[in-house]
Amino acid sequence: MTRQSRTAWLFTVPVLAIILLVFVVPTALALGLSVTDYSIYALADPANLHFVGLGNFADLFATPLFWRAMANTGLCALLGVPMAIGTSLAVALLLHDRTVRWKPLWRVLLFAPYVTSVVATSVVWRFVLNTQFGLLNYALRAIGAPGVDWLGDPRASIPAILLFVTWKVFGYNMIVFTAALAAVPVDLMEAARLDGAGRWMRFRHVTLPAIGPTLLLAAVMSVAGFLQIFAEPYVMTLGGPSQSTTTVLYFMFDEGFKWWNLGQASAVAFILFVLILLLTMIQTRIGRRYEWL
Amino acid sequence: MIKLFRRHIAVPSGTSRWADANASMPTAPTRRTVIAALPAALLAGCSNRRDPRALSVWAMSYEGDYSPLLMPAFTRATGIPVEVQTLPWTAAHEKLLTAFSGDSLPDVLMLPNGWVGEFAMIGAIAPLADPALVDDVFPSVRAAMRYGAHDYGVPWSVAPQMQYYRADLLAREGFGAVSLDWASWRRMGLALKRRRPDDYVVLSYLNWPDTLFTFAGQAGAPLLRDRDTRGDFAGPAFTEALRFYKSLFDDGLAPRALSTELQDPIAAFARGYFAIYPGGPTLLLDLRRRAAEIPPDRWAVTRMPGPRGPGAVDGISACLAVARSSPRPTEAWALVRHMTSARSELQFQAMIGNLPARRSAWSSPQLATPRLAAFAAQMRQPASQPAIVEMERIRAEVQLIAERVVRDQLTVEEGTLLMNRRVDALLAKRRALVEAGRIA
Repeated sequence: MTRQSRTAWLFTVPVLAIILLVFVVPTALALGLSVTDYSIYALADPANLHFVGLGNFADLFATPLFWRAMANTGLCALLGVPMAIGTSLAVALLLHDRTVRWKPLWRVLLFAPYVTSVVATSVVWRFVLNTQFGLLNYALRAIGAPGVDWLGDPRASIPAILLFVTWKVFGYNMIVFTAALAAVPVDLMEAARLDGAGRWMRFRHVTLPAIGPTLLLAAVMSVAGFLQIFAEPYVMTLGGPSQSTTTVLYFMFDEGFKWWNLGQASAVAFILFVLILLLTMIQTRIGRRYEWL
Repeated sequence: MIKLFRRHIAVPSGTSRWADANASMPTAPTRRTVIAALPAALLAGCSNRRDPRALSVWAMSYEGDYSPLLMPAFTRATGIPVEVQTLPWTAAHEKLLTAFSGDSLPDVLMLPNGWVGEFAMIGAIAPLADPALVDDVFPSVRAAMRYGAHDYGVPWSVAPQMQYYRADLLAREGFGAVSLDWASWRRMGLALKRRRPDDYVVLSYLNWPDTLFTFAGQAGAPLLRDRDTRGDFAGPAFTEALRFYKSLFDDGLAPRALSTELQDPIAAFARGYFAIYPGGPTLLLDLRRRAAEIPPDRWAVTRMPGPRGPGAVDGISACLAVARSSPRPTEAWALVRHMTSARSELQFQAMIGNLPARRSAWSSPQLATPRLAAFAAQMRQPASQPAIVEMERIRAEVQLIAERVVRDQLTVEEGTLLMNRRVDALLAKRRALVEAGRIA
C-alpha cells in the first residue's frame, strides 16, 4: 500500500465505519427483525419469539390499513412533490429577476420556515386551518367561497397537510435553485433573446437544461422526503380523520413503538426502504437519459 | 452509557469540573486546547444533571404537573429528594414501553389501571412489597391491580367519566337538570339543537374511545369472548350502544371533530358551543382555573346517561407502581405509600379534582360537597374491562372503525362485524398462547 492510499484510507475509514454502524447494521437488523414475530409478548419472555419467514409481509398485505397508508403516502408524494418543487422553482425564478430588490432579505424570510420547529409551526397552522376561526377560512369566506373543514374532512385533510408541508420545505430547494440559476450562462440567454425566443422558450430551452441536474437532485430528495412524512400528521391530525392522514411511516410508528409489534413494523420499514430505493433508481435512469448525471 | 458510567463511579458534576480546570489553566486557550475541549464539553452536556440521591417519578398530565407539591412532606420526613416528570397522555404508552426496553424507567411510575396487567406481564413493574398497601382501597379498583397471584400497583385516584353540563343553557329550554336515560337525554338534546342550530349539544371527540366504551359498558356489552381471545362486538348490546353513539352525530348533537381540531374546549364550553362536556374529575380543575370565563353557577355535573338510567362507567383511574429495575425498591415503596396515603389523596383531590381511591379518605368533610356526591355515586359502580395486554389497542382500533361508521363509510352492522374481525386478528397471538397454556 502506498503512502498516498494509506492516507486516503485513514481519512475514509471513520466515515465508512460510521456508515456501517448507523446505516448498514441497523438495516440488516431491521431485516432480521422483520422475519420474526417480535411483539410485546417477546418483550415479556424471549421464548415467545419465533421465526415467521415472510408471515409479517403476508399479514401486512392482508391489512386494509396498510394499503390505505400506502395510498395516502402515494397521494402525498404525487401531489406534494410537484407542489413543493414548483413553489421552490417559481419563487427562485421570481427572486432571480433583476428588478427584485433586497434579495438577501427575501431569501432569509422565505427560508425561515425551513429552520423552524415542525411542532411549533404545526400548532400555528392548526390555528390557520381551524374551521371556525381559521385565517384561511376567513379569507375564503371573504371572497364568497364556503369554508372548508380542513383537518376534519377526510377529503381535505391531505391537501391541508400538504399546504403546510409545502410552506415548510420549499425554502430549502429555493436556495438550491437560486444557486443553480446563478450558473445559467448569461451569454446563452442573451443569444436566445436576440434570436427572438420568448420568456417560455428561454425558460424551456436555456434555463431548464442548465438547472436539470439540480432539478433531479431536488426531485430525488423530495420524493424520499414526501414518502417519509410523519411529524406533520402526528402533530396536526394524529393520523385522522378516518385515518386519511395515516402515512406509511405513521403506520409503522404506531405498530412499532405504540403497540410494540416490532416484527411487523420492521417489515413496513423494509418495504418503504425498497420502495424509495426503486424510485430513486428510476429517477437516476431518467436523469441519465437527459445526460444530467 | 454516560448515565451508567456516572452512576457507578460518581464523577462530579461535569460543568463545575470543567470550570475548575479552565480556571487553573495558566495560559490563554490556544486553538488546539479549544478543539480538544470541545468533545469534553459535549460530553458534559450529555451527562444528566439529576440529583443522584433523588427518586424519579413519571406521571401523566395534571397528576405529573401537581405531584411535586406532594413531595416536600416526603423529603422532610425521609431526606430523600424526588424528581417528577410529566408525560403527555398521547405519548405515555410508547414512552413507558420504550423506557422499559431501554432500561431507563423511573423508580415510581403512574399507570392507568388498564395497563397494569400489560406492564406486569412484561416484567416492568414489581409486585407489591407490602400487601397492606391496598387493604383500604375500594375492592372494585383493587381488582384491576391483580396479575396472576400478585398485586402490582397501589390505586392512586379514581376518575369516572361524568357529564358536565351548562345548567344555564338547559334551564333556558325548561330543563331543570340533564336527563340520565338515553331516550329523554336525546329528546333534550334535540330540543337544545332546535333552539341553537349552529351550536352542538355534546362534545365527544371522534378519535377518543371513552364515550363509546362508556355507552357500551352501560348497555352491558361483553366486548370479548372465549376467555378474552375473540371480539364480541356484533351482539345486540354493543350494536345498541353504537347506534346511539352514531345518532348523536347524525342528528347534529355532536360535532364530527377530532381532539386535534378544537384548540380550547373549555373556551368553547364557556361560549356554549356545546352544552354537555363528558369528562373526568380533572375538568373540575380546568373549570376552577377558568372561572372568569365560565362562573361556577353556569355549570353542574352528574353521571353519564345510560340506556335505562345511569349505570357502570369506566374512567381513567390511575395507580402507582414501582419499576422492577429500580435500584432502591424500599425507598420507592415508601414514596408510593406517601403518595397514596389518604392525606395525600385528599390534598390531590383539592388540587386537581381526582378522587381518592382509599375508603378512609371518604370520611373527610372535604368530599361531602353536593358536586362530589354524583362522583361518589358513580365510583361505587365502576365498569370493568377485560384486563388483557391488547385492551388499549382494541379500544383504539374499535374507535377507528366507529369513526368510519359515524362518517357513513360503513353501516353499523358492517362496522361491528369488522370490529370482530380486526380484534380477532389482534388477538391471534394471545389466542395461540392461551391455547398452548402459556398464559392464563
